[in-house]
Parts: sequence; structure tokens; C-alpha cells
Amino acid sequence: MTQLSERPQQRVVTADGLRVAGLQKSYGPVPVLHGVDLAVPAGALTAVLGRSGCGKTTLLRLVAGFDRPDAGTVSIGGREVAGPGGVASPEDRRIGYVTQEGNLFPHLTVAANVAFGLPRRARRARFGVSALLELVGLEPSYAKRYPHELSGGQQQRVALARALAPEPGILLLDEPFSSLDVELRESTRRAVAAALAAAGTTAVLVTHDQAEALSLATRVAVMRDGRIVQEASPAQLYRHPVDRAVAAFVGDVVVLPATLRGGVAECALGGLRVAAALADGPATVLVRPEQIALDAGDGGVPAHVLDIEYYGHDAVVRLALGAAVEVTARCPGYALPAVGERVRLAVQGEVGVEVTGAPVP
Amino acid sequence: MWRSRQGVLRSGIARVVTATVAATALTASLAACGGASGPTLTLYNAQHQDLAQAWIDGFAKETGIAVEVRRGGDFELANQILAEGDASPADVFITENSPALSLLSSEGVLAPLDQATLAQVPARFNSGAGDWVGIAARSTVVIYNPSLIAPDQLPKSIIELSGPQWKDRIGIASGGADFQAIASAVYTVNGDAVAEQWLTGLAQNAKVYQNNIAIMKAVNAGEVPAGVIYHYYWYKDRAESGQDSSNTELEYFDKKDAGAFVSVSGAGVLKSSQHAAEAQRFVAYMSGVAGQQILADTDALEYTVGDGVPQNPALRPFSELDPPDVDLNTLNGPKIISEMQRVGLL
Amino acid sequence: MTSTAPRPVATLRRPYPPVRLAAAVAVAALTLVPLGYVLIFVVAEGPSQAADLLLRPRVGELLRNTTALTVTGCLACAVLGTGAAWLVERTTLPGRRVWTALMAAPLAVPAFVNSYGWVSVTASVQGFGGAVLITTMSYYPLVYLPVAAVLRGMDPAFEDLSRALGNGPWRTFFRVVLPQLRPALLGGVLLVGLHLLAEYGALQALRFPTFTTAIFDLFESTFNGPASTMLSGVLVLGCLLLLVGELRLAGRARVARVGGGVARAAVPHRLGARTPLALLGMAALAVLALGVPLGSLGRWLVVGSSTEFPIGLLATTTATTIGLGVAGAAATCLLALPVAWLSIRHPGLVSRLLERSTYIAGSLPGIVVALALVTLSVGYLPTIYQTATLLVAAYVILFMPRAMVSLRAALAQVPPELDDSARALGARPAAVLWRVTLPLVARGLGAGAALVFLAVVTELTATLLLAPIGTATLATEFWSNSSSLAYGAAAPYALLMIIVSAPAAWLLTRQSRREVVA
Repeated sequence: MTQLSERPQQRVVTADGLRVAGLQKSYGPVPVLHGVDLAVPAGALTAVLGRSGCGKTTLLRLVAGFDRPDAGTVSIGGREVAGPGGVASPEDRRIGYVTQEGNLFPHLTVAANVAFGLPRRARRARFGVSALLELVGLEPSYAKRYPHELSGGQQQRVALARALAPEPGILLLDEPFSSLDVELRESTRRAVAAALAAAGTTAVLVTHDQAEALSLATRVAVMRDGRIVQEASPAQLYRHPVDRAVAAFVGDVVVLPATLRGGVAECALGGLRVAAALADGPATVLVRPEQIALDAGDGGVPAHVLDIEYYGHDAVVRLALGAAVEVTARCPGYALPAVGERVRLAVQGEVGVEVTGAPVP
Repeated sequence: MWRSRQGVLRSGIARVVTATVAATALTASLAACGGASGPTLTLYNAQHQDLAQAWIDGFAKETGIAVEVRRGGDFELANQILAEGDASPADVFITENSPALSLLSSEGVLAPLDQATLAQVPARFNSGAGDWVGIAARSTVVIYNPSLIAPDQLPKSIIELSGPQWKDRIGIASGGADFQAIASAVYTVNGDAVAEQWLTGLAQNAKVYQNNIAIMKAVNAGEVPAGVIYHYYWYKDRAESGQDSSNTELEYFDKKDAGAFVSVSGAGVLKSSQHAAEAQRFVAYMSGVAGQQILADTDALEYTVGDGVPQNPALRPFSELDPPDVDLNTLNGPKIISEMQRVGLL
Repeated sequence: MTSTAPRPVATLRRPYPPVRLAAAVAVAALTLVPLGYVLIFVVAEGPSQAADLLLRPRVGELLRNTTALTVTGCLACAVLGTGAAWLVERTTLPGRRVWTALMAAPLAVPAFVNSYGWVSVTASVQGFGGAVLITTMSYYPLVYLPVAAVLRGMDPAFEDLSRALGNGPWRTFFRVVLPQLRPALLGGVLLVGLHLLAEYGALQALRFPTFTTAIFDLFESTFNGPASTMLSGVLVLGCLLLLVGELRLAGRARVARVGGGVARAAVPHRLGARTPLALLGMAALAVLALGVPLGSLGRWLVVGSSTEFPIGLLATTTATTIGLGVAGAAATCLLALPVAWLSIRHPGLVSRLLERSTYIAGSLPGIVVALALVTLSVGYLPTIYQTATLLVAAYVILFMPRAMVSLRAALAQVPPELDDSARALGARPAAVLWRVTLPLVARGLGAGAALVFLAVVTELTATLLLAPIGTATLATEFWSNSSSLAYGAAAPYALLMIIVSAPAAWLLTRQSRREVVA
């Protein structure tokens, strides 16, 4: 299919695939979005991560045009589609939309579904349907089947192909994997990510699953209570979360009070390196369990093992430092301590710091 | 390419339109050729359909004019004509009894009939204003079941029916125009005071049936000893199989009692008619020799009224009837309706 | 397969699409024409005139008769319909499929044909007792079908728990089963009540005067006089009372989907030694409801002295009936679309009001609607007076609720996310309707059309008043013959009516398998 493969060369590089500024939305007396700012780079997959009720689906619907914002602007590919000057309807925005259930048209075959958004002549010719099906990892023979004859994962793939067919400026995915069985989820995720990368379409994926966001996306925006609280690469987000809530959301975290002095945080686990240059004073450090090593030798902090949860490939170990402080550590499954054993702890790598008021660079 | 598509579209539409117009013209011309040679009359008919159809068929054979029929009751159609006003599609109106025609006459919606038409029927069967003519007549009778009531117990006057001895023993079809005509005769013959009392008493006594045939069947089956109907229902049934009248007999009132009332079935032409000439012809036909002969020959078994046509020999001779002298123009239809509402029959 | 993510409140607050809102308002306005006419007339006449026309002993008698018939008939239908449904669906009664078909079959036999079948055999069926018997036999399927559907899909766990707690079978039925049946039962009883208020042909033949028969009698004497419209006002009041009562008692659970799958099927109650008794009861019901009318019909076809088969007339009448049925079904479904669409996709006060108003209008008796349309067209719209257009308009007003129920149920099963997906793919709102929504509701639309067709074929009073000159339907021809007591001549028309309405009745029973119809 020539169009899609030619696209990277032909595309005019715009600054952002999507830019949202100051977006506000309330439903009646209940405010849902409190001023959302988001810039999504073109050609890549960005995840919006947040719990249920944080407003991420509302954000997506506003970007798609199914609802009007109370304030703020939305620009897709440099063109303003919602703002003080007016609001474009969804059919004019050149978006692709994949819902949680896929929502294939039950009365149409797979091929007719995929071709739905194409102009009438292209639709009749089933233009490019086989190529799109291959892109999402389905055999072209599936074209004649009906949606109810497909598995959930296959339906989602077809939904993606359908959304890609009219070459949208941006693709919006609303928790597309959460209704799938766990076994299907992984394979479908990988297929979708590969298809998006091959197509080179700007994509925004909304999800509550942090593993999904961290593994699929090149940028992740964490949303809480109607605001974006941190937007960064997955690694940056994981290692340097802006506050303990974000830290706890994307993984397990050990929270310890500390004092900053000259770039080093002194806490119960010793002096820890922090990434940012911050002013001296009290702070809270956010340590990941896998950063805590149990075989530090004499320089380490003494602790004894309270209990172990064994998962096969690794284990979560609960340790007590003295009387008051408890931490959890993760260690590989082949090097487990015994319960009650005395060990020495050390933290590897930089840790995140939560400082109230001070922004993280 | 778009333009030529438009062109194709346009010529396509043009072709369809031309074809439709041609087809319509062809059909219209065919219809004009082979169909009726004149306009179609619209008849509002309250008479029995078989009798009216016999007249329609005879008229069509003689003149080639077709007639379309709307069926209904006397007052239903009369009030409908009044409500429709000038826009009424009716050309001719035929009733079973005369009060409905008198109502229309008093409202001035009937056209004057040709003198020749009126001359075909004795004046006492026609409208005093010359705007409707009698075409058939029927006599009020009491039908009774001899096994339930002896002939000497039968009433000598229709007024007796409001007496307590008739409680649940007399059947009437109060919802129909027939009974309403008979009641209006009672009011005219006996005066309002007596008639009001009679109607009140009758309302308490009578068992109400849907129509005269239902009364006949009920009397025959022994559900009720007697009923008030018109004569021809009995004769018609006897002429067929008699299965609904074999257990019954008729009793005629006499001595010019209101119960001997002979009701006249009439026909008139509407002033609003678009086909006045043809309508007049139809009315003239029905009241003329040909139409009256048809009435005498069919098994409608109503009395003919036209001059020079003998009665159907199966009937009791008209000269033996002793009806009261009632000026048909004085039978007040709307008053009867409100009276019947007063006593609770409607 | 329902959406697991909580839908934001947003979808309930979208602005109404203007064209569809305008269409829905126009349709609702059309259906309210008869109601408006009656109300305006009654108010214009003034209280003293109303008192004159209404405070008469005759009206008191009509009120007594109508109320007694409605209450008794509804009760009888409720008991019979529920009892029969219980026996068929929840016990070991043999021959279940046969009984299911037999219990629903009276839907194909109009009530006036039913009473004709009885009256032509014996006159003792006239009066109150006969009226209750015949109307109950004609209308109990309206209770049977929805109750049977609910019983079929009911979770037996509640009954088991109740029995485990020591309640006997009767107590369990009244305290556990009946409350679950309430919406379906009340919906069916409401329909029965509305039918009873509107019944004319059956009651006229049985010589049992009610408001509707009196209005018709007055019409035959005065055409559109004030008395008939006044009585119509009282009738309208009765219908509104029924509607309000049902709303209060049944609550908002009108259409529920039975199809989510029950945990396990209920174990049928063993009848054991009582099986012959149950079979006898069911057989008696079938004989009374179907056997007598159909048998009498057959007898008249064969033996009747006035039986004739004027093929030409029968053919044209059947063709007219089918033509009117198809036209009525098409018009009603088309006009029901915007109102149904709005009520499902944009639930809110306005769309609910619009839907309710069409439902109210459809509850009015045919005679009231026809009378209103006659008077209005004679006075103000002479061009459509006495045309098939006016008749079809009456059908639309009368039968829109039937189309609406099917259409709403079908629309409710189409997830709104499909609309969103289609719009995101670039389809304009009209294209979404045409390419996505309509193909998916086609089946429900078909069921609604069949329901309306069935209703039009068996409709009598409005057709009698509004049919154009020279137009006769099977129902009106049957009626004119049976009123003249020419039973044999009437029989072929009755047979044709049953044949023509049988497929639609079958569809109605199939549809009620999938859901509870209110």
C-alpha cells in the first residue's frame, strides 16, 4: 500500500501532533477537567495514564470532538479544532477513534468495516483493505468474516485498521485492551504498537494500566483529578516521579523522610543520590524496591527480614530497619534471604524526591 | 465528468417524467373512451344496500351513469352533509325515513326537484317544499311470538307499551333511525305531553336491540315476547327460509293510531351537487315507473309509492292499512334525538 | 456485552440535533391532535353544557357498565394470563410448545369476531357476564405473553431461598415471584384496560352498552354532535387514569432485556397427580378462547344459508385491507423513528415528554380519534376529508406506541459508541443514521411494522368513520354483514381477517420471547 509507506517522506513535519491548552470541562456543577495542558509529539504514541474518574476519557472525547470544552483550545496537527473561534465536529477533524469495545459495525463484514471511512469509490473497491489487515497482523482471508466470528483481540485489531484507513491526523485509543482477556492483551498490545509504529501516525492512548503505558508509549502523561501532573518519557517517569502519588501509581515505592544536603538525601537508608539540584532542607525520597540491594556488605544499613513473597522470577522482601522503619525490597528469585536473617542494605542509582512546592525539572 | 454525469442524470429524469406523463395520458384517454359516458354520481345512501344497488344498476343500464355509494344511517348521513357544507361530495341523498330529509330541507341544503319528478308520486309522500320525493314506504308493526303472548294481550295502541305490564317484554331498536321516525310520529299524532310520558315509560320497559333484524331474531327465539319493527323485515325473512321468523306473527295497529305510522323513504338532490342534472335524473328514475317497478319486483318488500305501479302481491295490500294522517314535514328529527337522550335511550 | 467503563454524564447533556428534534416534535403534535380537540371542545362547551350532557342517568349507567367491565376484565385477564403462563413455563405440563402457540393464538382473532362466534350460537351470552367472558378470552394473551417471557428468564435462586426459609409454594409465589412479575403484569393489564375502554364491535353484538358503544350510537344519530364529544372526554379521562395508575404502580422499568443469561434454568414444579386437572383447565381455556369462535366460524362457512363467496368482492376487500395495513405500518414506523431515536440517544425531559405524548394519544379509543379527525377535517381541512390519507393518519395516531416499543427496544441494543465510531470515521450525522443505525434496527423495525399491520387489519371503529367512499375493508364488510345477522355472509371475511393477521400475531409472540413488552 503505497500511501502509508510514502507517508514519512511526504509528511510535513509539524511541531506537535496534538496540542491541548488550558482545557476545562464541567458537567453541571461537577468540574472534571481543571485546565489540562498537553503537547503530543507527532508520529509517536503518547499514553495518558490515570485512574478511573480522573478525566482522561473526557479529555479524549474533547479532543475527538464528541463534546465541547468550556474553556481552552485543542489543535490537531497545527490546526485549531476547538477554541474561542469555534468547534469543529468529529467528522471534520480527521481523527481515528478506537473504543474499549472496538465497536465494529455488526452488520458489515471486516472488509466493509475497514473501508467504512473511505470515500465512496474507494469503499466500493475495498481499497487497501488487505494491506491494512496485514499491518495489524491479520490474514487477508479475514476480510469476509463478520465481527461476531472474531475473538476480542482480533476485533480490536480490525477496529484499529478501520481507524487507520482514512489516514487520520491523529489516532485516539480509549483503553482499547481493558476488555480483553489477559492472554490476548499482550499479543494485541504488541500488534497494535507495531502497526502504529509502521504507520507513523500520531497516537494518544488512554489507559489506567501503568504496565501498558510504560511499555507501549514513547511519552507518558499522568493525569490526576483533571490535571496533567507529570509528562515525561517512561524511564523518566518511573525513576523521577514528581510526587509520591505518581510514584505509587507507576510502581511500588518506598517513601522515606529525608534531609537534603548538598545534593545528597540523608535518610534511614543512608545518603542517597538525587537527580535534581534542589535546595537544602527537609524532603521525601521515593525509592524503588528493586533499587534496594540486600548484599551491601559492611557499608550498608543493617536490617532484618520480616517476610518474603515469592513470585518465582523475583520476590518481594519486607525488611525492618531498627524498630520503626519498614521497607520493601525486590530481589531476584535465585538469591533469596531467609526470614529473620540479618542483611545489609544499600540503594543503587538515583532516587526521586518529592519536595512540596518546588517543581522538578 | 461531473457535468456529463449531471447531463446523464437530467436526461434520465426527463425520460422518466415523459414516460409517466405519456402513460397517464394514455390511461386517461382509455378510461374516457371505454368507461362511463358521463360523470359519476356520489350517493349518500341510508336505505338497504341491496335495494339501492338494484336502483343503481337499473339506472346505469338505462343512462350509463355510474353511482358511487357511501353507506350510513339516516341522521348520520344527514348531519354529515350539514357538517360538510358546500364542500360535501354528495349529489343524491336517499333515506329510510323522512325526518332526516325534513331536517336537510329546513336547513336549506336540498335543491328543488323537477315538477315532473314530484308529479310521479302522490303529494302526501313528498316534501311540502318540493325538495324531496318519496320512493318507498313501510308500515310500523308489532312482531310477536304467539307461544309467549296471546293475540288478545297485544296492545291496541302503541301508547300502551309504556305501561307497567310491558316491562322487559317489548323490544325496540332505539339507536336506529327507524324507531326514531316512529317516535316522532307519536309526538306529532299524540302531542308532546302524552308522547313524553310514553317515551319515558318505554325507556324503562324496553329491551334495546341493535337493529330490527336483531329484534325479529330475538322474538323468534323467544327471548322477548314482542317487538316494534317495520313490516318488510318479516316478509323478507319469510320469503327466504323463514328461519328467523317462523315462530312469529305480525300485528298491525289501526284506527289511525300512531302505531300504524307509515314511514316514507325519500330521495333528494343536494344544492351543492356538481352534477345537478344527472342527480335529478337519478331521483326521477327512482320515483318513476321504472324505478318503482324495480322496487316491486325485488325482494325488498317495501311498499311502492309511485303512481301507476302495483304493489308487490306478497304484501298486505296498502289499502288495508289505516295509518294516521301525518304531515311528514312536521316530523321533528333533532327534537326526537334530544328527547331520547333525556330519557336515557341515547 | 455491555460497556464496563462508566459512561460520563456527558452523553446525557448533549444538545438535541435540531432536525430530528423538529421531526419528533411534529410527530408528537400530530398524535396529540385528537386529545387537544377533545379537551378544547369540552372546555369551550362550558361547565353547564357539560353538566347537561353528562349528568344524566344514562351516563351513570354507562359509567357503571364501563367501570365494571374494565375492572372485572382486567382482573380476569391478570389471573388467567398469569396462571396459564405459570402452568406453561414453570410446571411439568406436557405439550409445552403446543400450549404456547395456543395461548397466543387468540391475538389473531379480533374480539368482534370472537363475540360473533359466540352470539351466533347462543343468545344467553349477551349482557355483562358474556361481555366479561368474551373480552377476557380475547385479551388475556396481552398479559400471558409478557408474563411468560419474564417467568422464562427469571432467576430461580430467589424461590429456592424462599422455600428453604420455610415458605410454602403459594406463599413463595405471592411474596417472591409476583413482585418480580409486577412490571410485566401491570403493563399487560394496562393494555387490556385500554382495549376494554375502546372496545366497540364485540360489546355492541352483546348488547352491553359502554361509553364507546354509546358514542358510536350517538354518532349514528347525530354525526359529530356535542354529546358524543362530551362522552369522548369522559373516556379520555378514563384512559389517562389507567395510564397514570400504571406508571405509579409499575415504575420506570418498562422494557427490560431478557437475554443476559440466567445462572441456571429453573427446575419445573412437578404437577404429578394434578396434571390431568391442569390439562383440562388449559384445554377449557383454549376451547373457550379459540374453539368456540373458530368452530362457529367454520360451521357458518359450511352450513350458513346466506354464505356466499363473492370472489371479486372478497379479493378487492382483502387487497384494500392489506394495502391499508402496509401503508399504515410504513407510515407509523417512519414517523416513530425520530421520537424513538431521541428518547434512546438523548434521554432527558424533552425526549421523555415527546415519547409519552405519543403513548398517551395511542391509548385513546379509535372512536375518539376518528371523531376528532372527522370534525377537524370537515371543518378545516376539506382536501383530506374522506381520503385514505386521513384514515392512515388515524392509524398512525392509534398505533404509534406499538411501533415505538419495538423500535426503542431495537435502538437500545445498538451501542451509542457505534455512532461515535462512525462519526470519527468521517460520516455526517445523516450518513450515520442511514449506514449504521437503520440497518441495525431493521429487525426491530420489521417487528414493529408487523404489530401495526396486525392492528390495522383488525381495526373497526375508526375505519367505519373515516374510510373513503367506496372503500371497504375486511373488518367493515364483516361488521355490516354480522350486524344484519347474515352470519354466513360474514364468515368468509372473518376467516380472511384471521389468515391475514396470523403471521403478524406469530411475530408478536416471537418478539415477546426476547423481551418484556410494556
